[in-house]
Amino acid sequence: MGFRIKKGILYLALIVLALTCLLPFLLMLVNATRSGSEISQSFTFIPSHYLRENWERLFDYFNIFLGIWNSIKVAVPATILGIYFPALTAYGLAIYKFKGNKFIFGAILVFMMIPGQLSLIGFYQLCTKLHLVNSYLPLTIPAIAAAGTVFFLRQYILASVPLSLIEAARIDGANELYTFHRIIIPIIAPAMATMGIMGFIGNWNNYLLPMIILNKNDKFTLPVMMATLRASLDIQANQGAIYLAVALSVIPILIVFCVFSRYIISSISAGAVKG
Amino acid sequence: MKLKKLMAIAMVGAMTLSMAACGSSGEKASGSDGASAGGDESLVVWTLASDLQDFGERYQEKTGVTVETVVIEPADYPTKVQTALMGGETEPDIIVGEPQMLEDFYDNGFFADLDEMGAKDYEGQIVDYVWKVGQDSEGIQRAISYQITPAGIYYRRDIAQEVFGTEDPEEIGKLFADYDTILSTAQTLKDAGYRIFASDAEMNYFSGDSAWVVDGKLNVSDARFDYMDLACNLYQNDLTAYANQWSTPWYQAMSGEVPILTAEIQNYEDDSVNVWDEAEFEKATADLEKTTVFAFGLPSWGVLTMRDNVGETSGKWGVCSGPAYGFGGGTYIGISSLSEKKDLAWDFVKFCTLDEETADWWIEYSEGDTVSLLSALDKHKDDENAIYGNQKLYSFWLNQAKGIDYSKVTKYDKVIDDAWGAAISSIKTGQASKEEAMETFYDTIASTYPEIQIER
Repeated sequence: MGFRIKKGILYLALIVLALTCLLPFLLMLVNATRSGSEISQSFTFIPSHYLRENWERLFDYFNIFLGIWNSIKVAVPATILGIYFPALTAYGLAIYKFKGNKFIFGAILVFMMIPGQLSLIGFYQLCTKLHLVNSYLPLTIPAIAAAGTVFFLRQYILASVPLSLIEAARIDGANELYTFHRIIIPIIAPAMATMGIMGFIGNWNNYLLPMIILNKNDKFTLPVMMATLRASLDIQANQGAIYLAVALSVIPILIVFCVFSRYIISSISAGAVKG
Repeated sequence: MKLKKLMAIAMVGAMTLSMAACGSSGEKASGSDGASAGGDESLVVWTLASDLQDFGERYQEKTGVTVETVVIEPADYPTKVQTALMGGETEPDIIVGEPQMLEDFYDNGFFADLDEMGAKDYEGQIVDYVWKVGQDSEGIQRAISYQITPAGIYYRRDIAQEVFGTEDPEEIGKLFADYDTILSTAQTLKDAGYRIFASDAEMNYFSGDSAWVVDGKLNVSDARFDYMDLACNLYQNDLTAYANQWSTPWYQAMSGEVPILTAEIQNYEDDSVNVWDEAEFEKATADLEKTTVFAFGLPSWGVLTMRDNVGETSGKWGVCSGPAYGFGGGTYIGISSLSEKKDLAWDFVKFCTLDEETADWWIEYSEGDTVSLLSALDKHKDDENAIYGNQKLYSFWLNQAKGIDYSKVTKYDKVIDDAWGAAISSIKTGQASKEEAMETFYDTIASTYPEIQIER
């Protein structure tokens, strides 16, 4: 009986917690169905009937599916590049002993602390010279140099990859890259998935750089497109459309999260070396 | 064996990379094809207000020139233009700016010289203050706006009739003639069971009667202090409905009765009332006394804001002048100094700002925005607006605009205004004494703009 009560309390607490997490979400969905003046005048969880108007207003400004597609074209390559190469670097730094290892790691740590926004004008000039303005390359290729991810993965490899495993692979005749691909990646997959989710969300929501680099409406990524809704004279009237756009833009993030989070859970239990 | 695998992996890597590269470069090629295929002549407009998108479409219809409008959020617009033009970008032909951005844009040479294109010939066709705001410190025309944004006081005609025995805008304007009069007007209204304003910041648009910075020195005029005293008085003597500008109760006050909140609710000290939740708000304020708000202070674009929110009080409103002349916002159109199509761009600027047909179309299309072209204002001077008791708004705004002194706008306004507002709210709520608040204000300015001299 006591167990049941405890369990009941626990469930109740969890339900309350879940509700607090979900309410803002619900509010976003509800607001997507309300008109701008309704949104600024009050706050409610009862959906209104302006979904169609908001949808039309939204598409009056731009095609949000094009924005989603553009964002995918930026976020997916940037995420893949931004976890594979840092993993390779981190593996090298963690496992191999060579001169300058500490120095390189120190340099990477220092670069982690410099905010990229500072060099914006220089970066733009570089892109103009290379004819890369209005291209997605300046948004994806630099993702390779993800100092933070290198740092994170290096620590993870140090903690979770036993050297004996790599020795075993070498004795069996695997070369270094094969070892990395077949043995190391499965072990550090949870860490890579974590960084992948964060990287994807970061790239998906990245606003400043695409805003600066892209000058064509049909190349805008989602955040840049949505920001234009706020440029209208009548901001209030666009409120509903903004909520609708935000609601639509969250869907891909949810999908990515669902896919990657399975890896996090499934590989945590995948032990490697028997005691 | 080892080499082979290494090669294989290297090739896979190279392939993925080149695929990514092809993906983007392929896109790029098709994108530029699309732009050039649209017509021999094309213009690129970078704007922060979606208005210009409509102007662009209209221009395309009329002339066949392809206009590509890129709308960028206002807060990020200066960053975008600065980065691009300093980076030598030649793509945008038309760039725009709001008054507080313009000085920086002029100083950095972003706008092309319109006098060289012949802007001098059009002097006198545009409302004076707009023409002057578009000039740099040497008097060279750099940008022109299609709209005017003078500030006015929107008041309830029925309440005016009841309390003051008249609803005539001229007479009501006298009740707002200076800050002392406003206080006594507020008291009279309170005694009659009404409140003069919903918030205590309604006179903000009129407070800029002197420039913040004169000859490199911070200038806090007496009028600024008068405004500060007014805001504090309104607040401390219980003369407003304690709503915050742009919050839910503030909008509600446009359509009729609202509960009088308390000072604590307005500063979020008392959170028993959620001002953002309608149902809860009604319940929590059921015991509070209700009142009807008499007036709002907004620039001419407030005509559209009020229109969307007045509800059943439509037709009962009027517009009169405030204690001073003031204006808020406005989009100024100019040509990028790096543009390669300056002649075509000049034609577009003329089309947006100096063409009477465009002005007529815009008045109708925007449902009541106020244009800057004098001939169009003259033509529409007898237009009556039903929401405002059939008042002839265009001639009213023109008169207000005539009094505006353009020289009072500086590039420091945004930061100083915000700091001043913060000082006022800390004084009115008693968080700081006037001296303390002034010190904080001076410190903020000194740290943000070391180049401004401050006499404390």
